[in-house]
Amino acid sequence: MKRTYLGEFEELVLLTVAVLHEGAYGVAITDELERQTGRSVSISAVHAALHRLEEKGMLKSQMGEATAERGGRRKRLFSVTALGSRALHDIRAMRDQLWESISPNVLPTLSI
Amino acid sequence: MNASQPPRWADRLLEWFCAPHLLEEVQGDLHERFTRELHVMGTRRANHNYWVNVLRFVRPFALKRQPERYPSVSLFSPAMFQNYLKIALRNLARNKAYSAINIIGLSIGLSAAMLIMLYTKDEVSYDRFHANNPSIYRITSKSLTPAGIVEQLQPYTGVFPGPKFHEGVPEITAFVRYRENHRDMKEGNDIKSQSVHYADTNFFSIFTFPLLSGNPKTALQNPQSVVISEDVAEKNFGTTNALGKTLFFRRDERFEPYTVTGVAKKSPQNSSIKFDVLMPLVIEADEMANNENWFSVFMNTFVLVSPGANLKAVEAKMNRVYVADARESIKIVAKKYGITGRTVYTLQPFTDMHLSKELPASNGLVDESNPTFSYILSGIALFILLIACINFVNLTVARSLKRAKEIGVRKVVGGARTQLIIQFLGESFLLCLVAFLLAIGLIELALPTFNQLANKALALSYLFDVKLVAGYIILFMVTSLLSGFYPALILSGYNPVQTLYSRFNLSGKNYLQKSLVVLQFTLASFLIIASLTIYSQFNFLTSKELGYDDKNLVIIDKSNLARNEANLLKEELEKNGNIIGIAPKNGGRWGTVAKINGETQVNFAYETVNESYLPLFKIPILTGRNFSPAYPSDSSHSVLVNETFVKEAGWKNPIGQVVDFWFRNEKYTVVGVVKDHHYESLSEKIKPQLFTMKASNPYGVVYIKIKPNTETASLRHIEKVFKKLFPLNPYSYQFLDQENLKRYESEAKWKQMMLFGAILTIFISCIGLFGLATLSAERRTKEIGIRKVLGASVGSVVQLLSTDFLKLVSLSFIFAFPAAWYAMNEWLSNYPYRISIGVWMFLATAFIAITIAFFTVGWQSVRAATINPVKSLKAE
Repeated sequence: MKRTYLGEFEELVLLTVAVLHEGAYGVAITDELERQTGRSVSISAVHAALHRLEEKGMLKSQMGEATAERGGRRKRLFSVTALGSRALHDIRAMRDQLWESISPNVLPTLSI
Repeated sequence: MNASQPPRWADRLLEWFCAPHLLEEVQGDLHERFTRELHVMGTRRANHNYWVNVLRFVRPFALKRQPERYPSVSLFSPAMFQNYLKIALRNLARNKAYSAINIIGLSIGLSAAMLIMLYTKDEVSYDRFHANNPSIYRITSKSLTPAGIVEQLQPYTGVFPGPKFHEGVPEITAFVRYRENHRDMKEGNDIKSQSVHYADTNFFSIFTFPLLSGNPKTALQNPQSVVISEDVAEKNFGTTNALGKTLFFRRDERFEPYTVTGVAKKSPQNSSIKFDVLMPLVIEADEMANNENWFSVFMNTFVLVSPGANLKAVEAKMNRVYVADARESIKIVAKKYGITGRTVYTLQPFTDMHLSKELPASNGLVDESNPTFSYILSGIALFILLIACINFVNLTVARSLKRAKEIGVRKVVGGARTQLIIQFLGESFLLCLVAFLLAIGLIELALPTFNQLANKALALSYLFDVKLVAGYIILFMVTSLLSGFYPALILSGYNPVQTLYSRFNLSGKNYLQKSLVVLQFTLASFLIIASLTIYSQFNFLTSKELGYDDKNLVIIDKSNLARNEANLLKEELEKNGNIIGIAPKNGGRWGTVAKINGETQVNFAYETVNESYLPLFKIPILTGRNFSPAYPSDSSHSVLVNETFVKEAGWKNPIGQVVDFWFRNEKYTVVGVVKDHHYESLSEKIKPQLFTMKASNPYGVVYIKIKPNTETASLRHIEKVFKKLFPLNPYSYQFLDQENLKRYESEAKWKQMMLFGAILTIFISCIGLFGLATLSAERRTKEIGIRKVLGASVGSVVQLLSTDFLKLVSLSFIFAFPAAWYAMNEWLSNYPYRISIGVWMFLATAFIAITIAFFTVGWQSVRAATINPVKSLKAE
């Protein structure tokens, strides 16, 4: 199956958009990413990824409402397209397949 | 800075680099983040983070511009350009009066400025065409008092400085002496007094005067050779191919042949050296041997100084040479004439000569020019141009109300302010371009008059000079910007909402417009006063009683007229009944010095006449008697003096006083006192004057009094007699009263120049005022209608409309009068005999300005006031 390649960060961003559902825009996505992954994420990197994903057709966007703290500027709200959804599912399916192919006891157990 | 706002410069930076279609969301996100951080971390960290975040956006996706769906139209896109042009032309065509006022005004202003540039360029270009520039200098000198104060500057030199300095100063690589004289030349059967220039043989190697034929190196080597101009060759031989032909010049009583060794091209128009006939300068050996000739000064000497030489050092060396060479004669002359000062030689760059006031180009050099004249001319031209620009600004701003709607619509459909500014500037450029083209036509028309006024031979073809064209283009740009920029700025700033709802009015105080009108009329009134003053002074100079009768007096030149010849001439002339009398006199202006009251020296004009001179001129004798044949000793013992002489001498009883010409060992007794009269131009004070009959002084001119209205017959008789008695002398005549008038040529020029300036400024100011009045009347149409309906008379409406403008004109007098008074007093102080500036001049100026302004404004006002109010009120 031919599918579009997704980078790790792109995958995370795409997933986050899905997580946030209605309110997925630059700052919210960044915050959510930081919260979920615990790593520092720059706004510009998120914007760049969103931009790329939209170009690839995995995200679509429309302008949302403006707020005072944004100086009256509107947000761009993202949502996952069918293509994006399929890409996520494909990745997940592939990962599951790989997980299932690992013989038990091959991976060292993690003691928490 | 607002504390809750992110750093301004970071925002600016972001706005600058970020692609427009991304900017909103990106900036919004960044601001949102900033606002939150501000609460959490404080201003410093938030600002810092903001900067970091902005800078992180410098990456390809944010920089890349998206092609816009509705691209904004470029300023110079053909469609917009076409639109601007169309609107501009429509506007010009629809407001014909307004366009005409602006174009006429600007083209007059521009052509005045262009003419002056042409003039100035010509003035500055004088003598610059010589290949040896800037190494050519003229030797000049200054006399210093023993205290070291400069007493006199002397542009001329004698025979010595050239050769001696060349010999003694290595940096002076060549010299040429140059002088003018008049020689009698045979022209066919006629004898003509011809101006002849003499120069050293290397003349053509120092100056660049191309020869049509002949070898410039050897042309002046033979003393009997002559170089002539094309014109002279053409006139004498009918061809410029005159090499080897012969011209005859008189020496004593015979005519000697001179061989033409070169034919020179006509000397350039912008040259101080202009020659028709050029001969080698021959200095006799005994002249060079007489060391006292250091003090005989009568010609121009030019030298070549080697490039890079230190001028101060060269001058110092020159003076060392002078002091060493002339040591003996300095002592002798000091003793003989009681001279206490000393002379210091200096160098004047050849190219500075033309415009030098202190060291003018005269004495064989021509076209000396007073730089003040250029300054005044430029001043007037700038005045005129300025006034024209003011018209443009005033009219455009005043008229803009009509275009307010257009501006509003343009803004509403998305016209940016810069676009509007460019549009209006473009319109002013267009208008200026039309004016500019018209100005070139005007120059062509005005050049002949201007040439006559400015004593020039300028042609329109001079315009095609790179520098001048560049100058004109700059002038054009500056004028367009000057007149277009302010209106463009104002017009483009209108608020579209106000203009479109007709809530817009341009009333306000409008101080700018008012002060510009005041400025215009200040300049105009200034020039009116100036021309009135110059007119009065000129009238005064030309109509003042001179103290003698200069009517019907013919002047004939005859050099070295002997006493018996004079008597013969008198006899022969008086045979004709039209001749009333004749009186010989020395030629030129003589002056000398003598001692009175024992040791006091007095300088005076020294006139050699005979007993018929004073009666012929009707100059009264106050005390004593005239010369008389009844006293044969008059010629050797008696003199007459004028009143000023007596006053200077301090004599209570002048008759019988002794005038001692001590250096000639001659003493004379005063026998009569002559009433003071203006024997020189009225721009000079009457100086002490002394009349003598001394037999050894030669006569040079003859004054012949003829009966009124017999000019033709008398002149024919005079010419016949002259040619019979003096067949070898050139004959020419002048009338004394005409010659006297010629003395005031420069004043006449000033007069005309000022008059032109005043008329032009007044004219342009008035058409501007006319335009403003028209617009103001238009704007107030409704108001006038209502006033009339309510019973206002035509008179009161006219008054209403005119008073405003007349007030401004009157206000301008406050500025113009003191300035004009000061300037004119300065000018008049040049004249010892002058008018005083009367109150009437100011009154007349005020009257002229107000009358003209009233007629300009009043005409419009009357028109507006007589309109049927029904018409003006019905129109909606």
